[in-house]
Amino acid sequence: MPIVQLQNVRKVYDTKVAVEDLSFAIQPGTMFGLLGPNGSGKTSSIRMMIGITAPDSGAVSLFDRPFHRSMLARVGYLPEERGLYKKMRVLDQLVFLGQLHGLSAAEASKRARLWCERLNIAEAIPKKTEDLSKGMQQKIQFIAAVLHEPDLIIMDEPFTGLDPVNAALLMDTLGDLRREGRAVLFSTHRMDQVEKMCDNIALIHRGLLVLSGSMRDVKSSYPRNRVVIQFEGSEGFLSHPSIETKKRYNGHAEIKLRPSATLADDAQSLLSEALRHARITRFEVMEPTLEEIFIEKVGEATPKNGSAIFEPESEEERAGELVDA
Amino acid sequence: MHDVWLIARREYIERIRTRGFLITTVLIPIIMGGFIFGSSFLGSKVSSESHIAIVSSDLQPALDLQDELERPRLSDGASGPRMTVDVMGAGQETRAILDRELDSGDLDGYLWIAPAATPGAPPAFTFTPRSGDEQSLRNSLASAIDRVLLRERMARQGMAGADLDAMLQPVQIATVHAPHRVDREAAEVSVTVLFFLMYMVIMLYGMNVARSIIEEKTSRIFEVLLATIRPEEMMAGKIIGVGSVGLTQVAIWITAGLLLMSSAMAPHLGGQPLHFALTVPQIVYFFVYFLLGYLFYSSIAAALGAMTNSEQELQQLNLFLVLPLAFCFIALRAVLINPDSSFSRSLALVPPFTPLLMYVRVTLGHPAPWEVALSLALTSASIYAIIWVTSRIYRVGVLMYGKRPNLPELLRWLRYS
Repeated sequence: MPIVQLQNVRKVYDTKVAVEDLSFAIQPGTMFGLLGPNGSGKTSSIRMMIGITAPDSGAVSLFDRPFHRSMLARVGYLPEERGLYKKMRVLDQLVFLGQLHGLSAAEASKRARLWCERLNIAEAIPKKTEDLSKGMQQKIQFIAAVLHEPDLIIMDEPFTGLDPVNAALLMDTLGDLRREGRAVLFSTHRMDQVEKMCDNIALIHRGLLVLSGSMRDVKSSYPRNRVVIQFEGSEGFLSHPSIETKKRYNGHAEIKLRPSATLADDAQSLLSEALRHARITRFEVMEPTLEEIFIEKVGEATPKNGSAIFEPESEEERAGELVDA
Repeated sequence: MHDVWLIARREYIERIRTRGFLITTVLIPIIMGGFIFGSSFLGSKVSSESHIAIVSSDLQPALDLQDELERPRLSDGASGPRMTVDVMGAGQETRAILDRELDSGDLDGYLWIAPAATPGAPPAFTFTPRSGDEQSLRNSLASAIDRVLLRERMARQGMAGADLDAMLQPVQIATVHAPHRVDREAAEVSVTVLFFLMYMVIMLYGMNVARSIIEEKTSRIFEVLLATIRPEEMMAGKIIGVGSVGLTQVAIWITAGLLLMSSAMAPHLGGQPLHFALTVPQIVYFFVYFLLGYLFYSSIAAALGAMTNSEQELQQLNLFLVLPLAFCFIALRAVLINPDSSFSRSLALVPPFTPLLMYVRVTLGHPAPWEVALSLALTSASIYAIIWVTSRIYRVGVLMYGKRPNLPELLRWLRYS
């Protein structure tokens, strides 16, 4: 039973097609990565899942039933644009947001305290939100999204602006939530995070789905033609004929092998060549990274203007209109 | 409904807790009280002491006039205006000296009596006041001159002094109020005070609604809220919450005011006890029209807030809020003077003006029941229409950042959904 299902969803704003014929489903207990460059329709898709906007055509179902606002109490949402009441005390704020999701004040307060301890921000509880650091505010917002124990957790760029320690803490927490059987959807540009955490991904570009499926399937559909070598000594082996392109760093090389039916053998011959020149501390043959796949896919879709990948999205384009569900 | 209540309660609690609420609750009555007492104090100051000179070649009429002017008039009571009058003959330098004294402020004006050109005709009176705005002084001079001339003529025709005094005694009109009818002057004062109260609170809290929507837009919290509740619920909660704060404030003021008036302190506050007469139906009407006015203007403010992104942009648009209110303010005088004129009657039925002006009519005039009913119906209907429009602007505008929408865009927003 999918937690969320989008079927042939299409959304058009005034002049711009935000999402076109988008379909995917998220299963309980999985982590789903929604990827795409800025302005590709990620936020529009997410907004349709939580009823802030409604699709022009196609269907959104939550918990195996057509979308209805009453189901929103089972959804937790962390928007890309963070927002909290600045003047409000942290605990009051969390209790208020918990109550909006149907918790009693007492229960919300109890859970808020537990969560603050879990995320190491217990000292923030009595403070005003505006007195907290940005990272702390982000953790508060994270708590607000999960306080009511939602079955579906939607996080738009959850790790931006966090230091590595806190980003890891939130990632681990999301992992725990997934193990509890909740479905987690997050959108990000950080491919390394997606690669580590997600079970399934969907890559959208200009409102179109360009790639989707389980992480394993997506990766294994690509040949293992990438080699990473860590070495000490001469880099003479980098002229080996099986190498198509290479990036050289200090004592580190990233290599793409020439397409061939015998990739595995080519890699072995590269290794023995390398051993003759240098002392090898790491040698890894693998599929392209998700980042490479991402750039390749997005580049394909924008043949002329490759730099459009990270074009800043204009503010007006993000405006949405609301429609009753 | 539960969500509306939650939003409203949060808004209410957070606002009541702020220092700003405490400050306005205390300061506004002080400022308003300051205005009222200040103006009545200044008024009494101006009229209570004046110093004039009378210049005449013939001393008798001048002395009579002095007597007439310096005698405290019964009708004015103990606190009535007092006048010091100097009498002098006309010399060469007199006018120059008097003009100097006018400049230095020792004198409030001088009266020049020139003998009549033909015998039997009254002499010519010329008054030179210090400033152009001495209406009350001129009035008391004119009536004193009338009395002196009358007395002189009567005496010439042989009427005895005692008879004359009795005849010239001003008539006393005693006012006795019918039961359940408030003294009109007192009612006028209370209505004016409440009018200002309504005007200020509607203005203040209407702007607060707009500001709080902008604040939510800049803090981006609404996106989290919209993931659980509808924009209409958000807007309703805000208007109710902010409005309750305004109502609380007004209730505090009225309670404090009534306590103050009924306490022993009242007579000590002003020179004369300030009448503040309110009947129960008047208070009920006040709250009804206050609520209507607040709803009307705060829904407009909500739309303005949803259309703009910053306080500065709001400033440019708040004309829509200020203009109709300011118009009520200008029209107040005319409605106060004649609450049942056709001007007042028609104006009080126009929805933007109804809350303030119909309230004045209801308390001071005699509107027909159908007029009251019609005003309530018209205003309620237009509030409904405004909320309909506003909630459409709101649901689009609240997610819209970037430039302010122009009129065609706004019309397109209305067609959505």
